[in-house]
Amino acid sequence: MLEKLSLDGKVAVVTGGGGGLGTAISLAMAEAGADIVVTDFRPEDGERTAAKVISVGRKSVFFPADVTKSDQVNSMMAKAIAQWGKVDILVNCAGIVREEQVKPFWEISDFEWHRGIDTNLTGAFHCSRAVAKHMVDRKYGRIINIASGFGMRGRRNSFMYNTAKAGVILLTMSLALTLSRDGIRVNAVAPGLFQTWGPRERYDAAAPFIPMGRVGQPSEIGPLAVYLASDASAYVTGEVFSIDGGALFSGYAPVNYVPAIPIEK
Amino acid sequence: MIPKEFSLSGKIAVVGGAGRSWLKELASYLAEAGADVALFGQDEKQMAAAAQAVQKLGRRAITVPTNVTSYREVEKMVAAVLGQFGKIDILVNSFDLQFAKPLIEVTVDEWNRVMATNLNAVFVGAKAVGKHMLERKEGKIITISSGLAERGLPNSTAYCSSKGGVIQFTRALALEWARLNVRVNAIALGWMAEGAEAQEGDWRDLLTRYIPVSRLGQPDDLAAALVYLASDASSFVTGSTLYVTGGLMAHG
Repeated sequence: MLEKLSLDGKVAVVTGGGGGLGTAISLAMAEAGADIVVTDFRPEDGERTAAKVISVGRKSVFFPADVTKSDQVNSMMAKAIAQWGKVDILVNCAGIVREEQVKPFWEISDFEWHRGIDTNLTGAFHCSRAVAKHMVDRKYGRIINIASGFGMRGRRNSFMYNTAKAGVILLTMSLALTLSRDGIRVNAVAPGLFQTWGPRERYDAAAPFIPMGRVGQPSEIGPLAVYLASDASAYVTGEVFSIDGGALFSGYAPVNYVPAIPIEK
Repeated sequence: MIPKEFSLSGKIAVVGGAGRSWLKELASYLAEAGADVALFGQDEKQMAAAAQAVQKLGRRAITVPTNVTSYREVEKMVAAVLGQFGKIDILVNSFDLQFAKPLIEVTVDEWNRVMATNLNAVFVGAKAVGKHMLERKEGKIITISSGLAERGLPNSTAYCSSKGGVIQFTRALALEWARLNVRVNAIALGWMAEGAEAQEGDWRDLLTRYIPVSRLGQPDDLAAALVYLASDASSFVTGSTLYVTGGLMAHG
Protein backbone atom coordinates (compact mmCIF):
# COMPACT_ATOMS: atom_id res chain seq x y z
CA MET A 1 0.00 0.00 0.00
CA LEU A 2 2.80 2.41 0.84
CA GLU A 3 3.89 2.79 -2.76
CA LYS A 4 0.88 5.08 -3.00
CA LEU A 5 2.94 7.70 -1.17
CA SER A 6 5.06 8.07 -4.29
CA LEU A 7 4.72 11.26 -6.33
CA ASP A 8 6.65 9.85 -9.30
CA GLY A 9 5.65 11.61 -12.51
CA LYS A 10 3.62 14.31 -10.74
CA VAL A 11 3.97 18.05 -11.22
CA ALA A 12 3.44 20.32 -8.22
CA VAL A 13 3.13 24.10 -8.01
CA VAL A 14 4.28 25.46 -4.63
CA THR A 15 3.41 29.08 -3.90
CA GLY A 16 5.53 30.84 -1.33
CA GLY A 17 8.08 28.26 -2.44
CA GLY A 18 10.98 30.44 -1.38
CA GLY A 19 9.91 30.58 2.27
CA GLY A 20 10.84 28.19 5.05
CA LEU A 21 7.84 25.87 4.84
CA GLY A 22 7.53 26.26 1.05
CA THR A 23 11.14 25.16 0.58
CA ALA A 24 10.72 22.16 2.88
CA ILE A 25 7.49 21.09 1.15
CA SER A 26 9.08 21.48 -2.31
CA LEU A 27 12.05 19.33 -1.29
CA ALA A 28 9.92 16.64 0.38
CA MET A 29 7.67 16.34 -2.68
CA ALA A 30 10.73 16.27 -4.96
CA GLU A 31 12.24 13.47 -2.90
CA ALA A 32 8.96 11.59 -3.31
CA GLY A 33 9.37 11.93 -7.09
CA ALA A 34 7.56 15.13 -8.11
CA ASP A 35 8.84 17.89 -10.36
CA ILE A 36 8.28 21.31 -8.82
CA VAL A 37 7.19 24.67 -10.16
CA VAL A 38 8.31 27.12 -7.50
CA THR A 39 6.55 30.46 -7.33
CA ASP A 40 7.16 33.37 -5.01
CA PHE A 41 7.31 37.14 -5.20
CA ARG A 42 10.91 37.02 -3.94
CA PRO A 43 13.03 35.92 -6.94
CA GLU A 44 16.25 35.07 -5.08
CA ASP A 45 14.42 32.88 -2.56
CA GLY A 46 12.35 31.15 -5.23
CA GLU A 47 15.38 30.51 -7.44
CA ARG A 48 17.23 29.06 -4.47
CA THR A 49 14.45 26.53 -3.81
CA ALA A 50 14.34 25.55 -7.49
CA ALA A 51 18.10 24.97 -7.42
CA LYS A 52 17.75 22.79 -4.32
CA VAL A 53 15.06 20.69 -6.02
CA ILE A 54 17.32 20.22 -9.03
CA SER A 55 20.14 19.18 -6.70
CA VAL A 56 18.04 16.26 -5.38
CA GLY A 57 17.56 15.06 -8.96
CA ARG A 58 14.16 16.41 -9.95
CA LYS A 59 13.16 19.04 -12.47
CA SER A 60 12.26 22.49 -11.22
CA VAL A 61 11.57 25.98 -12.55
CA PHE A 62 10.89 29.26 -10.82
CA PHE A 63 8.15 31.62 -12.03
CA PRO A 64 7.71 34.85 -10.07
CA ALA A 65 4.21 35.92 -9.05
CA ASP A 66 2.57 38.05 -6.40
CA VAL A 67 -0.40 35.90 -5.32
CA THR A 68 -2.45 38.99 -4.44
CA LYS A 69 -2.51 39.94 -8.17
CA SER A 70 -4.78 37.61 -10.14
CA ASP A 71 -3.28 38.58 -13.52
CA GLN A 72 0.17 37.57 -12.29
CA VAL A 73 -1.23 34.32 -10.84
CA ASN A 74 -3.08 33.47 -14.05
CA SER A 75 -0.02 33.94 -16.23
CA MET A 76 2.20 32.05 -13.75
CA MET A 77 -0.25 29.12 -13.73
CA ALA A 78 -0.51 29.11 -17.55
CA LYS A 79 3.29 28.91 -17.74
CA ALA A 80 3.34 26.18 -15.09
CA ILE A 81 0.83 24.06 -17.01
CA ALA A 82 2.73 24.63 -20.27
CA GLN A 83 6.09 23.73 -18.69
CA TRP A 84 5.49 19.96 -18.39
CA GLY A 85 1.99 19.75 -19.83
CA LYS A 86 0.03 19.51 -16.57
CA VAL A 87 -0.24 20.44 -12.93
CA ASP A 88 -1.28 17.64 -10.54
CA ILE A 89 -0.71 19.34 -7.21
CA LEU A 90 -1.08 22.89 -5.93
CA VAL A 91 0.32 23.85 -2.54
CA ASN A 92 -0.92 27.26 -1.38
CA CYS A 93 1.89 28.21 0.97
CA ALA A 94 2.20 31.93 0.26
CA GLY A 95 1.32 34.16 3.17
CA ILE A 96 2.68 36.80 5.46
CA VAL A 97 3.70 35.37 8.78
CA ARG A 98 5.07 38.72 9.93
CA GLU A 99 3.56 39.75 13.27
CA GLU A 100 0.95 42.35 12.73
CA GLN A 101 1.94 45.64 14.23
CA VAL A 102 0.26 45.83 17.61
CA LYS A 103 -2.02 48.83 17.72
CA PRO A 104 -5.55 49.54 18.90
CA PHE A 105 -8.07 47.62 16.82
CA TRP A 106 -9.79 50.87 15.74
CA GLU A 107 -6.55 52.15 14.21
CA ILE A 108 -6.08 49.29 11.73
CA SER A 109 -6.06 50.87 8.28
CA ASP A 110 -7.92 49.67 5.20
CA PHE A 111 -4.54 49.00 3.62
CA GLU A 112 -3.36 46.79 6.50
CA TRP A 113 -6.62 44.84 6.57
CA HIS A 114 -6.66 44.19 2.82
CA ARG A 115 -2.97 43.35 2.67
CA GLY A 116 -3.40 40.69 5.39
CA ILE A 117 -6.55 39.19 3.88
CA ASP A 118 -5.29 39.38 0.29
CA THR A 119 -2.01 37.63 0.96
CA ASN A 120 -3.23 34.90 3.27
CA LEU A 121 -6.70 34.20 1.87
CA THR A 122 -7.29 35.81 -1.54
CA GLY A 123 -3.94 34.46 -2.77
CA ALA A 124 -5.10 30.88 -2.13
CA PHE A 125 -8.35 31.67 -3.97
CA HIS A 126 -6.49 33.18 -6.95
CA CYS A 127 -4.16 30.20 -7.27
CA SER A 128 -6.87 27.56 -6.77
CA ARG A 129 -9.15 29.29 -9.30
CA ALA A 130 -6.32 29.51 -11.82
CA VAL A 131 -5.69 25.73 -11.73
CA ALA A 132 -9.13 24.26 -10.90
CA LYS A 133 -10.48 24.09 -14.47
CA HIS A 134 -7.31 22.37 -15.66
CA MET A 135 -7.66 19.84 -12.84
CA VAL A 136 -11.37 19.26 -13.52
CA ASP A 137 -10.63 18.69 -17.22
CA ARG A 138 -8.04 16.08 -16.28
CA LYS A 139 -10.22 14.63 -13.49
CA TYR A 140 -7.16 14.73 -11.25
CA GLY A 141 -5.90 17.25 -8.78
CA ARG A 142 -4.77 17.81 -5.23
CA ILE A 143 -4.84 21.19 -3.54
CA ILE A 144 -3.13 21.64 -0.20
CA ASN A 145 -3.74 24.88 1.64
CA ILE A 146 -1.36 25.93 4.38
CA ALA A 147 -3.69 27.33 7.03
CA SER A 148 -2.77 27.74 10.69
CA GLY A 149 -3.88 26.69 14.15
CA PHE A 150 -4.72 30.39 14.48
CA GLY A 151 -7.41 29.84 11.87
CA MET A 152 -9.28 27.93 14.60
CA ARG A 153 -8.35 29.98 17.65
CA GLY A 154 -8.40 33.65 18.56
CA ARG A 155 -5.37 35.64 19.52
CA ARG A 156 -5.10 39.09 21.05
CA ASN A 157 -4.34 41.81 18.51
CA SER A 158 -4.20 39.39 15.60
CA PHE A 159 -7.03 40.06 13.17
CA MET A 160 -6.01 39.80 9.55
CA TYR A 161 -3.88 36.69 10.01
CA ASN A 162 -6.38 34.72 12.11
CA THR A 163 -9.38 35.81 10.04
CA ALA A 164 -7.68 34.99 6.76
CA LYS A 165 -6.51 31.58 7.97
CA ALA A 166 -10.04 30.76 9.17
CA GLY A 167 -11.13 31.70 5.66
CA VAL A 168 -8.54 29.35 4.19
CA ILE A 169 -10.01 26.49 6.24
CA LEU A 170 -13.54 27.16 4.99
CA LEU A 171 -12.28 27.69 1.43
CA THR A 172 -10.76 24.23 1.81
CA MET A 173 -14.01 22.65 2.98
CA SER A 174 -16.29 24.24 0.40
CA LEU A 175 -13.89 23.67 -2.49
CA ALA A 176 -13.44 20.06 -1.38
CA LEU A 177 -17.21 19.48 -1.47
CA THR A 178 -17.55 21.33 -4.78
CA LEU A 179 -14.87 19.28 -6.55
CA SER A 180 -15.15 15.98 -4.65
CA ARG A 181 -16.74 14.21 -7.60
CA ASP A 182 -14.23 15.50 -10.17
CA GLY A 183 -11.24 13.57 -8.84
CA ILE A 184 -9.93 16.57 -6.95
CA ARG A 185 -9.12 16.55 -3.27
CA VAL A 186 -8.64 19.71 -1.25
CA ASN A 187 -7.13 19.61 2.23
CA ALA A 188 -5.51 22.01 4.65
CA VAL A 189 -2.55 21.76 6.96
CA ALA A 190 -2.65 23.82 10.14
CA PRO A 191 0.91 24.32 11.31
CA GLY A 192 1.83 25.55 14.75
CA LEU A 193 5.08 27.43 15.27
CA PHE A 194 7.90 26.38 12.96
CA GLN A 195 11.44 27.70 12.98
CA THR A 196 11.51 29.46 9.64
CA TRP A 197 13.00 32.94 9.75
CA GLY A 198 13.93 35.51 12.33
CA PRO A 199 16.01 35.35 15.49
CA ARG A 200 16.53 32.06 17.30
CA GLU A 201 15.60 33.71 20.61
CA ARG A 202 12.05 34.23 19.43
CA TYR A 203 11.59 30.48 19.04
CA ASP A 204 13.38 29.67 22.29
CA ALA A 205 10.98 32.00 24.09
CA ALA A 206 7.93 30.31 22.52
CA ALA A 207 8.99 26.68 22.99
CA PRO A 208 7.91 26.36 26.67
CA PHE A 209 4.33 27.19 25.65
CA ILE A 210 4.11 24.30 23.19
CA PRO A 211 3.10 20.95 24.75
CA MET A 212 6.04 19.10 23.19
CA GLY A 213 8.35 21.79 24.52
CA ARG A 214 9.87 22.73 21.18
CA VAL A 215 9.01 24.45 17.92
CA GLY A 216 8.72 22.50 14.69
CA GLN A 217 11.48 22.17 12.13
CA PRO A 218 10.41 22.90 8.53
CA SER A 219 11.52 19.44 7.40
CA GLU A 220 8.86 17.95 9.69
CA ILE A 221 6.02 19.29 7.54
CA GLY A 222 7.29 17.57 4.37
CA PRO A 223 5.92 14.05 4.95
CA LEU A 224 2.44 15.42 5.70
CA ALA A 225 2.43 17.36 2.42
CA VAL A 226 3.55 14.23 0.58
CA TYR A 227 0.78 12.21 2.23
CA LEU A 228 -1.93 14.71 1.31
CA ALA A 229 -0.56 15.17 -2.23
CA SER A 230 -0.32 11.45 -2.94
CA ASP A 231 -2.83 8.72 -3.63
CA ALA A 232 -2.11 7.40 -0.12
CA SER A 233 -4.77 9.86 1.09
CA ALA A 234 -7.31 8.99 -1.62
CA TYR A 235 -10.24 9.02 0.85
CA VAL A 236 -9.25 12.25 2.60
CA THR A 237 -10.79 15.53 1.46
CA GLY A 238 -12.03 18.72 3.12
CA GLU A 239 -9.85 18.00 6.12
CA VAL A 240 -7.67 20.17 8.27
CA PHE A 241 -4.73 18.43 9.87
CA SER A 242 -2.78 20.13 12.61
CA ILE A 243 0.97 19.70 12.97
CA ASP A 244 1.84 21.72 16.00
CA GLY A 245 3.48 19.73 18.80
CA GLY A 246 0.08 19.42 20.50
CA ALA A 247 -0.70 23.14 20.58
CA LEU A 248 -4.24 23.16 19.15
CA PHE A 249 -5.81 21.23 22.01
CA SER A 250 -3.80 22.89 24.72
CA GLY A 251 -4.60 26.47 25.71
CA TYR A 252 -7.39 25.53 28.12
CA ALA A 253 -5.11 26.26 31.05
CA PRO A 254 -1.53 27.44 31.50
CA VAL A 255 0.89 24.92 30.08
CA ASN A 256 2.30 23.99 33.52
CA TYR A 257 -1.10 23.54 35.22
CA VAL A 258 -1.38 19.87 36.25
CA PRO A 259 -4.50 19.35 38.40
CA ALA A 260 -4.83 16.53 40.96
CA ILE A 261 -8.33 15.98 42.38
CA PRO A 262 -9.16 12.75 44.26
CA ILE A 263 -12.69 11.28 44.20
CA GLU A 264 -14.36 12.21 47.49
CA LYS A 265 -15.27 9.35 49.82
CA MET B 1 9.51 6.95 -4.10
CA ILE B 2 8.39 6.39 -0.52
CA PRO B 3 9.92 9.05 1.73
CA LYS B 4 12.32 7.43 4.21
CA GLU B 5 10.65 9.09 7.19
CA PHE B 6 7.77 6.60 6.82
CA SER B 7 9.98 3.58 7.44
CA LEU B 8 9.16 1.36 10.44
CA SER B 9 12.07 -0.95 9.93
CA GLY B 10 13.36 -2.33 13.24
CA LYS B 11 10.20 -1.22 15.07
CA ILE B 12 7.90 -3.40 17.15
CA ALA B 13 4.20 -2.67 16.85
CA VAL B 14 1.42 -4.01 19.04
CA VAL B 15 -2.06 -3.98 17.55
CA GLY B 16 -5.10 -4.65 19.70
CA GLY B 17 -8.45 -5.48 18.16
CA ALA B 18 -11.99 -6.04 19.32
CA GLY B 19 -15.19 -5.90 17.32
CA ARG B 20 -14.72 -4.45 13.86
CA SER B 21 -10.99 -3.83 14.00
CA TRP B 22 -9.36 -4.58 10.60
CA LEU B 23 -6.61 -6.38 12.48
CA LYS B 24 -5.24 -8.13 9.42
CA GLU B 25 -5.07 -5.00 7.31
CA LEU B 26 -3.62 -2.72 10.00
CA ALA B 27 -0.96 -5.31 10.85
CA SER B 28 -0.09 -5.71 7.17
CA TYR B 29 0.43 -1.97 6.64
CA LEU B 30 2.80 -1.78 9.61
CA ALA B 31 4.66 -4.88 8.43
CA GLU B 32 4.93 -3.51 4.92
CA ALA B 33 6.66 -0.44 6.36
CA GLY B 34 9.10 -2.76 8.14
CA ALA B 35 7.67 -3.42 11.61
CA ASP B 36 7.33 -6.71 13.44
CA VAL B 37 3.84 -7.04 14.88
CA ALA B 38 2.24 -8.49 17.99
CA LEU B 39 -1.53 -8.92 17.94
CA PHE B 40 -3.82 -9.05 20.93
CA GLY B 41 -7.54 -9.57 21.33
CA GLN B 42 -10.06 -12.34 21.71
CA ASP B 43 -10.84 -13.24 18.10
CA GLU B 44 -8.17 -15.89 17.61
CA LYS B 45 -9.14 -16.59 14.00
CA GLN B 46 -8.79 -12.93 13.09
CA MET B 47 -5.46 -12.70 14.93
CA ALA B 48 -4.11 -15.81 13.21
CA ALA B 49 -5.03 -14.39 9.80
CA ALA B 50 -3.32 -11.13 10.70
CA ALA B 51 -0.17 -12.90 11.88
CA GLN B 52 -0.07 -14.95 8.71
CA ALA B 53 -0.35 -11.81 6.59
CA VAL B 54 2.55 -10.22 8.50
CA GLN B 55 4.73 -13.31 8.11
CA LYS B 56 3.95 -13.41 4.41
CA LEU B 57 5.50 -9.94 4.19
CA GLY B 58 8.68 -11.32 5.76
CA ARG B 59 8.17 -9.81 9.19
CA ARG B 60 7.80 -11.50 12.57
CA ALA B 61 4.36 -11.83 14.19
CA ILE B 62 2.97 -13.22 17.41
CA THR B 63 -0.57 -13.43 18.73
CA VAL B 64 -1.48 -13.04 22.39
CA PRO B 65 -5.08 -13.98 23.26
CA THR B 66 -6.21 -11.20 25.60
CA ASN B 67 -9.37 -9.73 27.03
CA VAL B 68 -8.69 -6.16 25.90
CA THR B 69 -10.76 -4.63 28.70
CA SER B 70 -8.85 -6.41 31.49
CA TYR B 71 -5.84 -4.45 32.73
CA ARG B 72 -4.33 -7.58 34.24
CA GLU B 73 -4.58 -9.49 30.97
CA VAL B 74 -3.22 -6.60 28.92
CA GLU B 75 -0.30 -6.28 31.37
CA LYS B 76 0.43 -9.98 30.82
CA MET B 77 0.23 -9.41 27.07
CA VAL B 78 2.84 -6.62 27.36
CA ALA B 79 5.15 -8.96 29.31
CA ALA B 80 4.71 -11.65 26.67
CA VAL B 81 5.51 -9.24 23.83
CA LEU B 82 8.56 -7.87 25.66
CA GLY B 83 9.71 -11.45 26.28
CA GLN B 84 9.47 -12.16 22.59
CA PHE B 85 10.56 -8.86 20.98
CA GLY B 86 12.31 -6.94 23.81
CA LYS B 87 10.53 -3.62 23.29
CA ILE B 88 7.38 -1.95 22.00
CA ASP B 89 7.62 1.16 19.80
CA ILE B 90 4.04 1.44 18.57
CA LEU B 91 0.62 0.70 20.03
CA VAL B 92 -2.46 0.67 17.85
CA ASN B 93 -5.79 0.51 19.71
CA SER B 94 -8.44 -0.57 17.22
CA PHE B 95 -11.58 -1.33 19.18
CA ASP B 96 -14.94 -0.85 17.54
CA LEU B 97 -18.07 -2.40 18.97
CA GLN B 98 -20.93 -1.15 16.84
CA PHE B 99 -24.22 -0.48 18.55
CA ALA B 100 -27.32 1.60 17.79
CA LYS B 101 -30.59 1.69 19.71
CA PRO B 102 -33.06 4.35 20.90
CA LEU B 103 -31.77 5.75 24.17
CA ILE B 104 -34.89 4.70 26.09
CA GLU B 105 -34.20 1.07 25.18
CA VAL B 106 -30.48 1.07 25.91
CA THR B 107 -29.79 -0.96 29.03
CA VAL B 108 -27.10 -0.02 31.50
CA ASP B 109 -25.39 -3.27 30.64
CA GLU B 110 -25.32 -2.44 26.91
CA TRP B 111 -24.02 1.06 27.61
CA ASN B 112 -21.27 -0.36 29.80
CA ARG B 113 -20.29 -2.93 27.20
CA VAL B 114 -19.93 -0.32 24.46
CA MET B 115 -17.87 1.89 26.77
CA ALA B 116 -15.76 -1.04 27.95
CA THR B 117 -14.74 -2.10 24.45
CA ASN B 118 -14.53 1.22 22.67
CA LEU B 119 -13.15 3.45 25.41
CA ASN B 120 -11.99 1.49 28.47
CA ALA B 121 -9.83 -0.79 26.31
CA VAL B 122 -8.07 2.27 24.91
CA PHE B 123 -7.27 3.39 28.45
CA VAL B 124 -6.15 -0.09 29.48
CA GLY B 125 -3.91 -0.54 26.43
CA ALA B 126 -2.37 2.93 26.65
CA LYS B 127 -1.66 2.55 30.36
CA ALA B 128 -0.13 -0.92 30.15
CA VAL B 129 1.98 -0.28 27.06
CA GLY B 130 2.59 3.40 27.88
CA LYS B 131 4.34 2.41 31.11
CA HIS B 132 6.96 0.61 29.05
CA MET B 133 7.15 3.49 26.54
CA LEU B 134 7.78 6.01 29.33
CA GLU B 135 10.60 3.82 30.66
CA ARG B 136 12.18 3.79 27.21
CA LYS B 137 11.32 7.46 26.65
CA GLU B 138 9.99 6.60 23.21
CA GLY B 139 6.67 5.55 21.78
CA LYS B 140 3.74 6.21 19.50
CA ILE B 141 0.16 5.43 20.41
CA ILE B 142 -2.53 5.46 17.76
CA THR B 143 -6.19 5.21 18.63
CA ILE B 144 -8.93 4.43 16.13
CA SER B 145 -12.00 6.62 16.44
CA SER B 146 -14.80 7.75 14.14
CA GLY B 147 -16.26 10.87 12.56
CA LEU B 148 -19.09 10.19 15.01
CA ALA B 149 -16.77 11.51 17.70
CA GLU B 150 -17.55 14.99 16.36
CA ARG B 151 -21.02 14.50 14.90
CA GLY B 152 -24.29 13.23 16.30
CA LEU B 153 -26.54 10.46 14.95
CA PRO B 154 -29.90 9.11 16.16
CA ASN B 155 -29.75 5.91 18.22
CA SER B 156 -26.05 6.36 18.66
CA THR B 157 -25.63 7.93 22.09
CA ALA B 158 -23.44 5.13 23.39
CA TYR B 159 -21.35 4.79 20.25
CA CYS B 160 -20.86 8.54 19.75
CA SER B 161 -19.98 9.02 23.41
CA SER B 162 -17.43 6.24 23.33
CA LYS B 163 -15.79 7.51 20.14
CA GLY B 164 -15.80 11.11 21.36
CA GLY B 165 -14.19 9.78 24.50
CA VAL B 166 -11.43 8.15 22.46
CA ILE B 167 -10.52 11.46 20.81
CA GLN B 168 -10.58 13.37 24.07
CA PHE B 169 -8.51 10.62 25.69
CA THR B 170 -6.05 11.01 22.82
CA ARG B 171 -5.78 14.77 23.25
CA ALA B 172 -5.45 14.62 27.02
CA LEU B 173 -2.82 11.88 27.03
CA ALA B 174 -0.93 13.63 24.21
CA LEU B 175 -0.51 16.68 26.45
CA GLU B 176 0.34 14.57 29.50
CA TRP B 177 3.19 12.84 27.68
CA ALA B 178 4.14 15.56 25.17
CA ARG B 179 7.54 16.12 26.80
CA LEU B 180 8.24 12.45 27.44
CA ASN B 181 8.67 11.58 23.76
CA VAL B 182 5.49 9.52 23.56
CA ARG B 183 3.16 10.85 20.86
CA VAL B 184 -0.56 10.04 20.94
CA ASN B 185 -2.78 10.55 17.89
CA ALA B 186 -6.06 9.29 16.47
CA ILE B 187 -7.38 8.14 13.13
CA ALA B 188 -11.11 8.71 12.69
CA LEU B 189 -12.96 6.56 10.18
CA GLY B 190 -16.02 7.41 8.17
CA TRP B 191 -18.64 5.02 6.79
CA MET B 192 -16.77 1.86 5.89
CA ALA B 193 -17.86 -0.55 3.19
CA GLU B 194 -17.56 -3.41 5.64
CA GLY B 195 -19.65 -2.69 8.69
CA ALA B 196 -23.04 -3.11 10.20
CA GLU B 197 -24.34 0.27 9.08
CA ALA B 198 -23.51 -0.40 5.46
CA GLN B 199 -24.83 -3.93 5.06
CA GLU B 200 -28.40 -3.18 4.08
CA GLY B 201 -28.78 -2.24 0.42
CA ASP B 202 -30.79 0.96 0.74
CA TRP B 203 -28.57 2.42 3.44
CA ARG B 204 -25.50 1.53 1.50
CA ASP B 205 -26.68 3.47 -1.55
CA LEU B 206 -27.93 6.39 0.51
CA LEU B 207 -24.67 6.72 2.42
CA THR B 208 -22.59 6.33 -0.70
CA ARG B 209 -24.45 9.18 -2.39
CA TYR B 210 -24.11 11.31 0.74
CA ILE B 211 -20.33 10.95 0.99
CA PRO B 212 -18.56 13.78 -0.90
CA VAL B 213 -16.24 11.40 -2.76
CA SER B 214 -19.17 9.04 -3.58
CA ARG B 215 -17.79 5.87 -2.09
CA LEU B 216 -17.58 4.03 1.20
CA GLY B 217 -14.24 3.70 2.96
CA GLN B 218 -11.91 0.74 2.55
CA PRO B 219 -9.25 -0.42 5.01
CA ASP B 220 -6.58 0.45 2.43
CA ASP B 221 -7.61 4.09 2.81
CA LEU B 222 -6.11 3.95 6.30
CA ALA B 223 -2.74 2.47 5.35
CA ALA B 224 -0.63 5.58 4.91
CA ALA B 225 -2.43 7.46 7.69
CA LEU B 226 -1.50 4.68 10.11
CA VAL B 227 2.12 4.47 9.00
CA TYR B 228 2.41 8.26 9.02
CA LEU B 229 1.33 8.48 12.64
CA ALA B 230 3.40 5.42 13.64
CA SER B 231 6.62 6.68 12.05
CA ASP B 232 9.04 9.59 12.33
CA ALA B 233 7.18 11.21 9.42
CA SER B 234 4.89 12.74 12.06
CA SER B 235 7.60 13.77 14.55
CA PHE B 236 5.92 17.11 15.44
CA VAL B 237 2.37 15.71 15.59
CA THR B 238 0.68 14.87 18.86
CA GLY B 239 -2.93 15.13 20.04
CA SER B 240 -4.15 15.28 16.43
CA THR B 241 -6.91 13.39 14.72
CA LEU B 242 -6.58 12.36 11.09
CA TYR B 243 -10.07 12.01 9.65
CA VAL B 244 -10.27 9.53 6.76
CA THR B 245 -13.93 10.00 5.95
CA GLY B 246 -14.19 10.80 2.25
CA GLY B 247 -14.90 14.45 2.96
CA LEU B 248 -17.76 13.93 5.43
CA MET B 249 -16.33 16.25 8.09
CA ALA B 250 -16.46 19.24 5.73
CA HIS B 251 -20.24 18.81 5.45
CA GLY B 252 -22.34 21.26 7.49
